[in-house]
Amino acid sequence: MKRIALNCLFLLLACWSFAQDNPVTGTVRSAEGTPLAGVTILDKSTGKGTNTNAEGKFSIQVGSNAILEFSFIGYTKQLIPLNGRRELSVQLTLSDGTELGEVVVTTALGIKKQQKTLGYAVQEVSGETMAKTKAPTPLAALTGKVAGLNITNTTDLFRNPGISLRGRTPLIVIDGIPDPDADPYKINADDIESISVLKGPAAGALYGALGVNGAIMYTTKKGKKGKLTVEFNSSTMFQTSYTVVPEVQTVYGNGDQGRYAYSNGSGGGAEGGGWIWGPKLDQRDPSTPSGFYETTQYDSPIDPVTGQRIPTPWISRGKNNIKNFFRTGMLSTNSISASVGTEKGSFRIAANHMYQQGVVPNTGLNNSSFSIGGTYQLAPKLSMDAKLTYNREYSDNYPTVGYGPPNYLYNLILWIGPDIDIRDLENYWMPGREGLQQRNYNLSWYNNPHFIANELLNGYKRNNSFGQATFDYKITKDLSLKFRNGFNQYSSVADTREPYSYIAYSYISRGNFSSQQSNYFDINSDLILNYKHDFGNNFGINLTAGAANAYRRFESVYTSTDGLTIPEFYSLTNSINPLKGSSTLNERRTGSLYGMIDAEALGFLYLNLTGRYDKTSTLPIRNNGYFYPSAGLSAVLSDKLNLPEAISFLKLRTSWAKVNTGFIDANNPYAHLTTYQIGPKWNNVPSLVWPTTFISPDLVPATVESAEFGGVIGLLNNRINLDVTYFTNRDYNNFINVTQSQASGNTSVLKNANVFQRRGWEFVLSGYPVRGKNFKWETTFNFSKVHRWLKDATDNPDGYIGQIKEGQRMDRIYITEARTPDGQAIYNSNGMQAYTPFGQYFGDRDPDWIYGWQNNFSFKNWNLSFSVDGRIGGLIYSTTNQKMWWGGTAKGTVTPFRDDANAGNSTYVGPGVVVTSGNVEYDSYGNIISDTRKFAPNTTPVNYISFMQTTSGAMLNNYFYYSGTYLKMRELVLTYQLPAKIMKGVFTGASVSFIANNLFILAKIPNVDPDAERDELQTPSMRSMGVNFNIRF
Amino acid sequence: MNKTILYSTIVGMLVFASCKKYEAFQDNPNNPTQADPSLLLPSIERTAFSTISADAALASRYLVYTQGASNTQYYGWQRSSMAYNNISQVIRMEQEAARTNKPNYRYIGKFLKSHFILNMTQTFGDIPYSQMMQSILNGNFSDSSAIRPAYDKQEDIYLGVLNDLKIAADSLDANGIAIGGDLIYNGNIEKWKRLINSYTLRILMSLSKKENNTALNIKSRFNEIISNPAKYPLMTSNADNGRLPYYDITGNQYPYFNNNSMKTDYYLDVSFITMLQDLKDPRLFVFGKPTPSSNGAVMDFDSYDGLSGSAPLAENTAKRGAGNASQINDRYAYTAINEPSLLFSYAELQFILAEAVVRGWISGDASTYYTNGIKASMEFSNYNNTYSEQLMNTYIASSEVALEAGREIEQIITQKYISMFMNTGWQPFYEQRRTGFPQFDVSGAGILNDGRIPKRWMYPNDEFVNNRVNVENAIKNQFPEGDDINGTMWIVQ
Repeated sequence: MKRIALNCLFLLLACWSFAQDNPVTGTVRSAEGTPLAGVTILDKSTGKGTNTNAEGKFSIQVGSNAILEFSFIGYTKQLIPLNGRRELSVQLTLSDGTELGEVVVTTALGIKKQQKTLGYAVQEVSGETMAKTKAPTPLAALTGKVAGLNITNTTDLFRNPGISLRGRTPLIVIDGIPDPDADPYKINADDIESISVLKGPAAGALYGALGVNGAIMYTTKKGKKGKLTVEFNSSTMFQTSYTVVPEVQTVYGNGDQGRYAYSNGSGGGAEGGGWIWGPKLDQRDPSTPSGFYETTQYDSPIDPVTGQRIPTPWISRGKNNIKNFFRTGMLSTNSISASVGTEKGSFRIAANHMYQQGVVPNTGLNNSSFSIGGTYQLAPKLSMDAKLTYNREYSDNYPTVGYGPPNYLYNLILWIGPDIDIRDLENYWMPGREGLQQRNYNLSWYNNPHFIANELLNGYKRNNSFGQATFDYKITKDLSLKFRNGFNQYSSVADTREPYSYIAYSYISRGNFSSQQSNYFDINSDLILNYKHDFGNNFGINLTAGAANAYRRFESVYTSTDGLTIPEFYSLTNSINPLKGSSTLNERRTGSLYGMIDAEALGFLYLNLTGRYDKTSTLPIRNNGYFYPSAGLSAVLSDKLNLPEAISFLKLRTSWAKVNTGFIDANNPYAHLTTYQIGPKWNNVPSLVWPTTFISPDLVPATVESAEFGGVIGLLNNRINLDVTYFTNRDYNNFINVTQSQASGNTSVLKNANVFQRRGWEFVLSGYPVRGKNFKWETTFNFSKVHRWLKDATDNPDGYIGQIKEGQRMDRIYITEARTPDGQAIYNSNGMQAYTPFGQYFGDRDPDWIYGWQNNFSFKNWNLSFSVDGRIGGLIYSTTNQKMWWGGTAKGTVTPFRDDANAGNSTYVGPGVVVTSGNVEYDSYGNIISDTRKFAPNTTPVNYISFMQTTSGAMLNNYFYYSGTYLKMRELVLTYQLPAKIMKGVFTGASVSFIANNLFILAKIPNVDPDAERDELQTPSMRSMGVNFNIRF
Repeated sequence: MNKTILYSTIVGMLVFASCKKYEAFQDNPNNPTQADPSLLLPSIERTAFSTISADAALASRYLVYTQGASNTQYYGWQRSSMAYNNISQVIRMEQEAARTNKPNYRYIGKFLKSHFILNMTQTFGDIPYSQMMQSILNGNFSDSSAIRPAYDKQEDIYLGVLNDLKIAADSLDANGIAIGGDLIYNGNIEKWKRLINSYTLRILMSLSKKENNTALNIKSRFNEIISNPAKYPLMTSNADNGRLPYYDITGNQYPYFNNNSMKTDYYLDVSFITMLQDLKDPRLFVFGKPTPSSNGAVMDFDSYDGLSGSAPLAENTAKRGAGNASQINDRYAYTAINEPSLLFSYAELQFILAEAVVRGWISGDASTYYTNGIKASMEFSNYNNTYSEQLMNTYIASSEVALEAGREIEQIITQKYISMFMNTGWQPFYEQRRTGFPQFDVSGAGILNDGRIPKRWMYPNDEFVNNRVNVENAIKNQFPEGDDINGTMWIVQ
């Protein structure tokens, strides 16, 4: 500031001699009325400027119609036209962080820096945004809020959201300490002060290899100076309705080829093999006692004389099975915190509990946290800062996901006909065989969903503790030394209880109990020396040198029974055959030396340089030490140039970084060592298997070389701000299993190979469309894209990886179903889909764009905020839809052809063509080199049901690749802040909010929520609504 | 305050100093890097002797699949895959055997390696052989000839394999250091010799179209074994079968135990049922299950009916739905142990000898070998003693079964075919490819491949990516029409 002031003084002196203007005088005060010293006053048209003195007074010679700009760090800039006035009284209000030049962000190692000084993209999200509406994890609450960050949320209970920053998984950092294990459930959202997303490797360079993909950094609350503040925050949300739920047909029941008759539940014969291609339901039949078509069913009474089942009416008892099975989910979060501080120090103590009741009966999740943290000035030159958090996640049962028999959705949405009423299956044991045999309509293929929910139990208990302690010693005014130790620890027990008669694909259980016990510990120590100095007015420097050590240890023991002697007695002592087990111990260590230089010059140029040397245990000794640098440059042009008045801020930035990583496999520190693998036992004879991947002894670290260019422009007094970033990352020396002919004896060699390029754009457009005294509208829109290309297939002489050629994107999808060049299905002579010997290009997986839009409206005591986000483009393969068409539950299968098939007639002709003559030739990579095929329309009628069972009708549904485009109303919060007079001094603040999540979605994919970017049979997407109370006193 | 710095520094030093050295992390505590060969043998044996395959049964017209239109059954075949990784395991075992000086493992390794090679060459035709395994043998990862091995002519592969098997048979030493981890013969070297010699006869018989090939010299190789029982012992009973038994331990159970699809989707092919009905073969009662619409009498041939492997799916599912189709016997899906998987059986040996007599390769009584084979097969398949000794003898003595002049080969192969139901992998298909017996039905409207029975599979995709020039040359040298499932490889020419 001083330098700017001096510059202004020079300018002023230069102008002095020919000054003809009259002096304007005045005082600048804060909103509270205290005079502000050092405020910069500038006449933008002439460049004249001055500063306020200690009493807040100023005097400046300017024209009588000049417009003066008042600016001061931490306060909102003001432009005041004189309109002939000679005396001014100016009040500056505290900035709400929208002053682009003044935004302070947390960067690597927890160091706070002014954003304008950074040469790379950083986006910060305030903890406030997740105080009211609660997602299961704070990570999920970031969805749509950060350009370049793609969070894929699953609808399933207790599953981690996917995170991808510029196409890769970033590092999670809590209070400056890396959390390589990255459990998103262990952080309490109410504990978060802010989240800072460092996007490129330049940002992460100082975390070493861990930070190669950028970092998401949580800064937690630690107490503030001031009197005691107690805050109570409570949110409760109910999942009362569906945002997306699969719609199944209710016209046809269980069976195959229109036939069904229950005999013994084996699924064979007239039970139709477990298909939902059975007879039409609710058909009148005057010849039966009920007046409806009747057949034997699993719950038909048994004739005491003949011992045969008596047919019962075949009616759609199970029209509402999905809704009848699920219950109302709930997410309830309560937290209380107290914070107090003096000049000497402060501390904060907080407790939090989250309870999530799953929509599936008998599922839920508890999550409790307790934290204490604070700062203290131990001595005039020595201060400390420490935080410790204990967290416990525990669930007695959470659902299994993915396509298969343990997933209740498999049994509920895909493989139950509407002839079965799910409510009848609540009695899930076979009478007289409780504990031994489940009761269901099919005993070979499927599990009773109630049986799964109540008897197949996945328990999980995990105790997390993490924290850090930092000592800061100011040796001189400029020189300081910091020592920091941080750790993450957890111990967990995951156990599964598998009941008798549980059906898996390959076996029917005779009961099992397994337990996996794990212990994890990591510690990160940093010793950091910092020197800060301003050399005169035009040059300042900030030097940091540090040494770090990181150690990680993971131990795990897994033990399982092989059958249970006594049913329902879940203990390892109860195994029929010898126990099965395995154990793992992983250790790794990384030591580092690093340094950084931040220099600023001429009041607007900022240069950041970093360098780091790592030595890691995860590479062969001879190549396990490596250096890598980064550089960044930022120029705040608006501080130097006279720009048009409309432009209030302009910054250009660029950075370059090279980051090396020696971690071949994040979870296996021994991935550079060739060892035997433990093979299966046969009749208790042990075995070993030699891996067919050879590991090159010459491995060197993998490298990401990144270049980033960006700019920020603030318009109309920063009412409109635009931040644009372009980046290009070159990934080379990747750790790749390079395939080779398996006849060589090895299927692949792990070596440094291939070059990929990731390129992308990120835009953040934000501003205040309305900024009145009472009404304010703040809005932020971000959108971004990233793709990855193959630049060099270093080990394939023809330049291919698989079928992907150099220059092509890496997310290409190939399918082997035969299609004409214009996309029509090609059929075999039997009327079924034909296949090609090589997969053919079908489309791209990754979205073209991801976007998010946040809005905040405040009017007096009311505040409304909402967030909308989504993706555009990309293809998602939908297992749910494919299986619905295959199995017979899709609504689209209700056609007259189906009735024909039920009647035994083959009337369906698949849309598409057959090859009448000619042939097609491929090269060895599947590219078509000649095509002389002639096509004619397919005319072979086939049985509709056989057709669907064989092809799933894939050609009718774009081969089940659906566009991933969607728009989701992510969250909405309407808050009323209680007026002070109501609180009458009891509370210092109180608010009540209506909160909602996942309100609605507009999507192209049917039956499933595209949020997760994949579909392997997901829980229906639920709408959550509820209330938040926040009280402070 | 200097004290505080001092303390912090000391704490810091302690933290850094207490760490292990980087060298200490260069050993994986979870897995070993050296092993006795007895730890490698079980996994290799398990792979080699696990031959049970429902796909082979669909392609060989034993079974019909009803859950969808199966391209295996309708002969709409595409590619198969190679399995050189099994040979890599053998090489590794041989290396460990050399290290620990236990040569018997190396000769058993030669047999297992030969078996894996033959499986592949029968699938594709020419494959890499003489140049294979250089990466694992010599650590050669740079030479093109090592990482992209050339393909060998099938004839040369057979020659190499026959020589290897002879070395194994000559060198296995019952008095040498015993082998451990042997799931098949529990370390009995004599039985290994019987298997290897008997198996050699299978290879020679599979080359029956090359009777006059002077390089191979099939007949004299065959006779060398037959005429030297002391040096080259052969299997003497079912007790010598090269088989993998199953156990009621998770993962060690019969491969289709509790398999949902095996419980509901697999039905006997009508041609197979008719064959057994015509012969009044009681093995039908242990292979199939009476139809739902029958009176359910297991021992009644009329209780059984089949589906057609070439008929459209809807035809089969309709017949099934009407209760007129026999599922595969319950034991294949509902019993944990059922029966062992066979790599080579005493019964097969007897059928080979019978055929060799008929072909005039050796002297002897074809009929004796033939009936020995049938008897051994019936005893092997007699699950739960479903049929009596008497019924077996009656069957063997019946006029329908007895060898008939001029039809011997057909009858022998037919009995071999029956004996291999769900137990010897793709061998029955390859026997049919060699002899044309039994005739596989391709008359139905569901059939693909223009009604032809495929003769091979296309080469796997990974070879086109990893070994393009060599696989392209191999195709050019063998199949002028290109990489086609109807191409005739050398062995069947």
